[in-house]
Amino acid sequence: MIDFALKNWRQNIIYIGFVLIFLLFALTLNDRGFLNPNNLLNIFRQTAMIAIMAIAMTYVLSAGEIDLSVGAVAGLTTVTVALTISVAGPLAGVAVGLLTGITVGVCNGWLTTRIGIPSFLTTLAMMGIAKGVAMWISDTSAVPILSRSFAWFFGGGSLGIVPILFFWILIFGVWGHIQLKHTGFGRRVLATGGGETAARYTGINVKNVKFQVLVVSGTAAAIAGMLYAGRLQSGRFQLGEGDELSVIAAAVLGGTSLFGGKGTVIGTIVGALMIGMINNGLILMGLEYSQQLIARGGIIILAVALSQRQ
Amino acid sequence: MHFGSLVALDDVDLSVRAGEVHALLGGNGAGKSTLLKILNGVYRQTAGDVTVFGATLHGNSPELARAAGVAMNFQEMSLIPSLTAAQNIFLNHEFLHRGLINEAAAVARARELFEQLNVDVDPTILVSDLSPGQRQLTEIAKSISHNARVWILDEPSTALSVTDVDRLFDSIRAHTAQGNAVIYVSHRMDEISEISDRLTILRDGRKVTTAETRSTSVSQMIEHIVGKKARDFSNIMLSRKALGAPVLELDALQDAHKLRPVSLSIREGEVVGLAGLLGSGRSSLIKLIAGVDAKASGQIRVADQPVDFRGPADAMAQGIAHVPESRATQGIIGAHATSDNLTLSILDRISVRGLISKSRVRTLSQKQIDEFDIKVESHRTPVLNLSGGNQQKVVLGKNFGIDPKILLLDEPTAGIDIGAKTEIIDAIHSKAGEGMAVIVASSELSELAVACDRFLILADGVICEDVSRDDIVAENPEDANMVPFIQRVLEEKIQAANRTLKTEGFGEKQ
Repeated sequence: MIDFALKNWRQNIIYIGFVLIFLLFALTLNDRGFLNPNNLLNIFRQTAMIAIMAIAMTYVLSAGEIDLSVGAVAGLTTVTVALTISVAGPLAGVAVGLLTGITVGVCNGWLTTRIGIPSFLTTLAMMGIAKGVAMWISDTSAVPILSRSFAWFFGGGSLGIVPILFFWILIFGVWGHIQLKHTGFGRRVLATGGGETAARYTGINVKNVKFQVLVVSGTAAAIAGMLYAGRLQSGRFQLGEGDELSVIAAAVLGGTSLFGGKGTVIGTIVGALMIGMINNGLILMGLEYSQQLIARGGIIILAVALSQRQ
Repeated sequence: MHFGSLVALDDVDLSVRAGEVHALLGGNGAGKSTLLKILNGVYRQTAGDVTVFGATLHGNSPELARAAGVAMNFQEMSLIPSLTAAQNIFLNHEFLHRGLINEAAAVARARELFEQLNVDVDPTILVSDLSPGQRQLTEIAKSISHNARVWILDEPSTALSVTDVDRLFDSIRAHTAQGNAVIYVSHRMDEISEISDRLTILRDGRKVTTAETRSTSVSQMIEHIVGKKARDFSNIMLSRKALGAPVLELDALQDAHKLRPVSLSIREGEVVGLAGLLGSGRSSLIKLIAGVDAKASGQIRVADQPVDFRGPADAMAQGIAHVPESRATQGIIGAHATSDNLTLSILDRISVRGLISKSRVRTLSQKQIDEFDIKVESHRTPVLNLSGGNQQKVVLGKNFGIDPKILLLDEPTAGIDIGAKTEIIDAIHSKAGEGMAVIVASSELSELAVACDRFLILADGVICEDVSRDDIVAENPEDANMVPFIQRVLEEKIQAANRTLKTEGFGEKQ
């Protein structure tokens, strides 16, 4: 067992790193309340949106593509949801929110697989478009959400002391893991990224697979956006801004290959939690925002370098 | 079938009978692979029909072809390295249990398939960790997993040992005995003669002939493939020549992975063949000498001077040229012009005051094109548009551009038709005659038998035997044909070397 852990330590670096950083923070930051249950639950609250987008990103990366538009789509969704709720109620809001993500996902998928624009460029352009639309329809101001049921269900509520966001991670994690590892769809995703020609010759419709993962990613971004909106009880175009980097970092930290063919949902979730934990610890240390950015970047580079080296 | 204005396949009739093994032969660009891809649904024909056991196929896709009972192996092109052998075999037709993949059933069935083939492959291992031979067997197992009534095998034996080829042939015979059909594609005439009942030969996209294998001699086959009375290998004979001083010496040279310490001395004008199965260390040794891989220990001496290579550039500076194994990824830059490829190794000679001179590029590349008889529309044509044989001549031309003293060739004639093969072997002989030392690694023993004066038998990273052509020739009974005889001797030596290693326990790997 120990022998196995040592041999595969690079593969398992994310889990080892997670435990090590947790212990480090527990020892050094205990007097500042790191181990306080409420603080630990806070980490889940702050991580849920990144984790959900990162689970979908695991599919996108595993299929050999990338989606840079997720953060902007989450922001756009907060605005469309908030505006719809204010005129037509929470159910319509959820429907419009999902539709926002699916629409962007379909556009990304269509442009990438039918027109043949690399997903890097498609989704980079879409990032700007989504942000522009969000600013335009909200007139760049925050839109309040007054529905308490929406706010409870999407992010604000809790069952006992356990925040509802924890269950969102759980549901997406279990669903994402089973889909990727134990269904034909997941196998086709991994095969498409692992060897596109080979997958095509095996009769897999690789364009469909890529289309599907981009739609999944857009939808997941919309759900993350609704969680932002519910938690903060408002829609703002700035929400989710820059999240795409944390999302990709979480997936890569968790062992997903940027070049496709390799990815695990469990690793991704731990990667997301690790980023959340680092953020939390750095804040408790009393670092300034500028210092947090530098420290976080350094830690991520170190972790990825250790896990990627052969 | 058209590609742009080019007709890749023109009005070809092929009829395969139930219960027969039908061989398909042809040189590069003859249309073989186009035909196979149409049969398998990867390409769509522009005219004509495919009928399988009476049912005409409508539309083309790999799924449709499979549903109609056609399955094919893809020369290792259809395996995903990051999945296990079992996962690859059942990719896209997984065993499902309530919507979830039943991994255990897949592993058990894969095990049965490998047992049926009578070979030793662990289905739970990642394809990236399998040896080339095992990958090829996995590819074959994948194609039989569909229980196809028409089983197409495209060059299935390039990485297999003779024993495994025999076992594959047993499976093929068992398959046809049940009334199924097999289409067998190979460049190896001996295999075609052994396994097939009838054969069809294509040339330039047209069918040349369909005939009984029994009544077709190998030289007739070659004549049909090449389209003229060709010199077959057996007519090439080495002229005896005096060898010069040792030019390349290896002293206990070793890499970080595969090779055990290698000591070796090669003289000017000598052509040395590396023979062994894929994965025996042939390529590893070549890459070490070429400076592609770093040595772990030992010494290389070029013309008596110890050298230390930090990369291929250092080796080239010492006059070592390297024609790598994979033409497409290591040999050419496909989208670039033929002339740019030919002059990539001699940028300093085509530059004037730091700027590349177009006229020098033109003159120098035209010289190479003429010398190697490269068939190309213009020197600006992208290399990608050339046939495999002509692409390989571009790689050779690029390497001869640096006027090497030592030439390393790794599978120099892979996927090349017999006409181009003979030209390349001629080029090797003429350069050796001028004093160049040549090392050739090849899985085609007939080619080594023709090209080399000396053979090194490798197995599992060890040079097991070092034998000269003269010694083998001396054993030849007076009546035997020389090239097949040498080929057979080499084959036996490779088998013996692998057997010895296995019994001594060297073959075990961590």
